[in-house]
Amino acid sequence: MNDNLREQISSYIYISPFLIIFLVFIGFPFLYAFYLSFHQVTSLRDVFGGLQFVGLKNYWLILKDPKFHWALIATLYYAVLIIPLNIAFSLLLASLMRIPFKLNSAFRTGFFLPFVLDAFVVGIVWTFLLSGRFGIITNILRPFISEGIYRQGFLGTPATVMPSVATAMVLKGAGFGMVLYLAAMQNIPKEIYEAASIDGASGFKRFFYVTLPLLKPVTTFLVITGFIGAISAFAEFYAMTGGGPTIRVFGVPQGMTKVTGLYLFDFIQTLKLGKAAALAFILLVITLSISLFYAKLQKGK
Amino acid sequence: MKKTIVILVSSALLIVVLFPFVWMLYTAFKPPGTGLIFSLKTGFTLENFRKVLFEYNFLKYFKNSFIVAFFAATFSTLFAAMAAYAFAKKRFFLKDALFWTFIASMMVPGLLYVIPQFLVVYRFGWMNTYQGMIVPHLANVFGLFVLTQFAREVPDALLEAARIDGASDLKIFTSIMLPLMLPIVATVYLLNFQFHWSNFLWQLIVAQTDKMYTVPVGLAMFKNSHQEAYTLEMAASSLSIVPIGILFIFAQRYFIEGITQGAVKG
Repeated sequence: MNDNLREQISSYIYISPFLIIFLVFIGFPFLYAFYLSFHQVTSLRDVFGGLQFVGLKNYWLILKDPKFHWALIATLYYAVLIIPLNIAFSLLLASLMRIPFKLNSAFRTGFFLPFVLDAFVVGIVWTFLLSGRFGIITNILRPFISEGIYRQGFLGTPATVMPSVATAMVLKGAGFGMVLYLAAMQNIPKEIYEAASIDGASGFKRFFYVTLPLLKPVTTFLVITGFIGAISAFAEFYAMTGGGPTIRVFGVPQGMTKVTGLYLFDFIQTLKLGKAAALAFILLVITLSISLFYAKLQKGK
Repeated sequence: MKKTIVILVSSALLIVVLFPFVWMLYTAFKPPGTGLIFSLKTGFTLENFRKVLFEYNFLKYFKNSFIVAFFAATFSTLFAAMAAYAFAKKRFFLKDALFWTFIASMMVPGLLYVIPQFLVVYRFGWMNTYQGMIVPHLANVFGLFVLTQFAREVPDALLEAARIDGASDLKIFTSIMLPLMLPIVATVYLLNFQFHWSNFLWQLIVAQTDKMYTVPVGLAMFKNSHQEAYTLEMAASSLSIVPIGILFIFAQRYFIEGITQGAVKG
């Protein structure tokens, strides 16, 4: 009994730094955000006391806000661009890197390197490369682009802004997918390829009918994390577009790239904290639905 | 033949992937005001770095970035390793419930915590301080998860033998568990360092004066007030990118291992 008590105490001593920080900065904030989402901040001098209960009003106001609808559409558009691009490029890199050659590991390092870099700073660099008139990429591609794009830059033109951000982020992040695909490819038994070759399958056929299906878990993982990443994307858009350029949708002005992350940041910046919390929970429900769907897919196998 | 094609294609792709960073460095070493002239003849200078470091305070921002990343990585790794030891090798009240609560919190996007964390930090009077930038992120659940998986592999017999020899619990933790967990501790440390070095949104909210800016926050403010100072902007960007790039090149094995482990198990 005495020993047990001592074990209990010593265990709690080991977990206490972690536990206390968790309770104060993760556990409490989670519950408080939920509470806050049903309230309106009335006094900014006392953000814990100056609250007025407003029921579901924050949720309702967001759900019927055309800017929120647009944020969802913009986020979905971003996800639909970046996810397939990322998967295709990761697969291409992995297929190349699977073949052993001199300096192979140096190439892998080079492809993976941008993944560990700061999305905001990388975004700033890309903004410089893609800017109108003076950007190096704008100038290299000048023969292929319209005068409008040349003047406003890729990030200032509604049609090209989203594909540009997606391309920049794919080039930055595909090294991660490459590493996952490489690890999965190593686990495919050689015999399967040999059998396929004997059956007369060509290189392309082997890739589409043998390799790809066996890599499906990685692909599914990249699709799901891609969606979640798009919903919480912030730094890259803050750096590259700030939500612009402005377009008109059914007569309402909207930011072409005002994704959910930027829409939430607006609430934080204007200290509409009740609304910010409500939006965060709406996004959480969307994220959890996607994750549960993923878990079901995994179980189904 | 096939190999030649692979090398050629790989080289072309590598140029595309690394081009932004090469261009960033190239611009950072060009004389101020020539950022938009594409020529190698403009010359080479350290003037941009001198200017951003000493005239625009980036030396201070760099120091802040380093302090935040260093202390945040050190303490979050230590706390996670301590907790991992208890979760892997001890039995205590609410153990499983706590562990799964921690893991479940990983499902929640970080954006949700930002507002109430801001309120807590505000209430504590920690706005614009190092502790405000560091402490809220010291419970690193991902690190705890990876370290616990690893700590479970340490044989119980080893700990039992030490206990019979009269080693105290603290001694067992510091001289058996930690040394055995060193490779994975290094991995978690590096990932934490990288995360805090580039944790932009939180530092943007907490750091309110020039004195406390980290490099990315300083860069955001600089960009707002200096339109088209491209050579300076790229020199400041290099200050954020180059240290992590070098760290990665030297310790990539640990980075990649940690990231893939997290993806496979999580």
